[in-house]
Amino acid sequence: MKQSFIFILLLLAFVHCGKDLSPFGGEPEVNALKTRLKPEWPSPNWKVVSPESVGVSSSKLGLVEEYAFTRTGDETDRKGRRTDALVILRNGKLIYEKYARNFSEDKVHLTWSVSKSILQTMYGIAVKEGLVKLDDPGYYHYEPLSRDEAHKKITIRHLLNMSSGLAGEEGYESGPLKSSVIAMLYTRGRKDMGAFCAGLPLRAEPGTQVYYSSCDTNILSAILKKVYGTEEYDKLPFEKIFKPLGITNVTFERDGSGTYVGSSYLYMTAKDLAKIGYLYLNDGIWNGERLLPEGWIQFTRTPAPGYKSTPYSEDLSQDNYTAHWYANTGVPERGIHEPWPDAPKDTFAGLGHWGQMLYVIPSLDLIIVRFGDDREKAFIKNDFLKLVKESVIR
Amino acid sequence: MKRKISVILSLLFLFILFWAQWNWKHLSSFPSIISSFYSKEYCSCYFVMQLSEDQCHDFARQWVPISEFKLDKENMSITVKGLGRTNTAKYLSKEYGCTLVTD
Repeated sequence: MKQSFIFILLLLAFVHCGKDLSPFGGEPEVNALKTRLKPEWPSPNWKVVSPESVGVSSSKLGLVEEYAFTRTGDETDRKGRRTDALVILRNGKLIYEKYARNFSEDKVHLTWSVSKSILQTMYGIAVKEGLVKLDDPGYYHYEPLSRDEAHKKITIRHLLNMSSGLAGEEGYESGPLKSSVIAMLYTRGRKDMGAFCAGLPLRAEPGTQVYYSSCDTNILSAILKKVYGTEEYDKLPFEKIFKPLGITNVTFERDGSGTYVGSSYLYMTAKDLAKIGYLYLNDGIWNGERLLPEGWIQFTRTPAPGYKSTPYSEDLSQDNYTAHWYANTGVPERGIHEPWPDAPKDTFAGLGHWGQMLYVIPSLDLIIVRFGDDREKAFIKNDFLKLVKESVIR
Repeated sequence: MKRKISVILSLLFLFILFWAQWNWKHLSSFPSIISSFYSKEYCSCYFVMQLSEDQCHDFARQWVPISEFKLDKENMSITVKGLGRTNTAKYLSKEYGCTLVTD
């Protein structure tokens, strides 16, 4: 009996020996973006053209519109698909724009977690200016992360990859009592979200597991405040991102200590958010000037390395998190397909609560911004992206 | 039989007491969620996104109803009472939107 037990143990050890444990079966496929030959910079705003002139079918776009703007549930109970805005651009030109539920082209909309992807843009700028390095431990710049040796191991890269190891609980409506995101935004953490989050215990060794947490973002925001100093930090997104892109109608809310709530509270118009997408589609270059460092968009599109050792869960299939953005890569070795299998594999996105979406599709030269107020999961991203893809005729 | 029930009830009470003590950090701050969520999200909906009063109530509404609501257009603030706690959110500026201001 004892012998056969040892034999089985040895067999199991041999079976696993040499197996590639990388969830992607090697390096993920992330090809560099092609340089645009003739960019159409939207200064001050997007050029409007007919869909056909850039190879998109108007009638097929009608199906996209029908999907996005048909109410499927009870409006008073906030059910079904509830789109507020949809903007589509091809080859740097506006081909579709529609608003609903009292929104319009000049009204800003809450982007919820798409804010995280713009907080990441702020990091691109800080890295380019040489003020921070991705592998700097957070405590070099931000004292609350020096509370013990375990917290000192958390680097800026870990935080951007949602792999800090901090025990955040990202439940909203599902588990409000113990949700750290709700405590952070509305109760115990609201005065100083970064400090609240840095005080969380660790659930895993930093860098080894991906666990989506708004806390990671707000620690990043607090780090930037220390790096730049309050005065410069207050101007940072406005002067160094929004102004160069010609974005003037924008609101970025802060916590009780004046730190940007990078996890949740950026408000923009749909067409302005598309400009952020266009900056990323053009490898961080705007109007011929490099705003984000070389390699930053590659970093943005590469899945977080922590997936290699993150325990399996159903969420992995919806959650190909990169560096504060999402990618359509999947986790092939674990048999998990891309989150949006009917969209091109190179699609990447900023996504937020209740249906906020910024999609960038380099292979089709498409940018899609969709704002909504979906209180249940009735808007199926893959179905929507499939219709958009099918509208491209050449 | 009666004795059995009272033993079960006492055990249940002890369990709840133990659970409440264990989760006190979460429980004590929980009631504030209703009024702080409503006031902050209504403030941003009305002053930042510039939607109508009705639409903003619909936006900020939760499963637990609120008991008092005050929209102060002059001071650009929203005060809400719910589950016995009162919270106020104030509009600061176009750049920085709304923030919760009560302690």
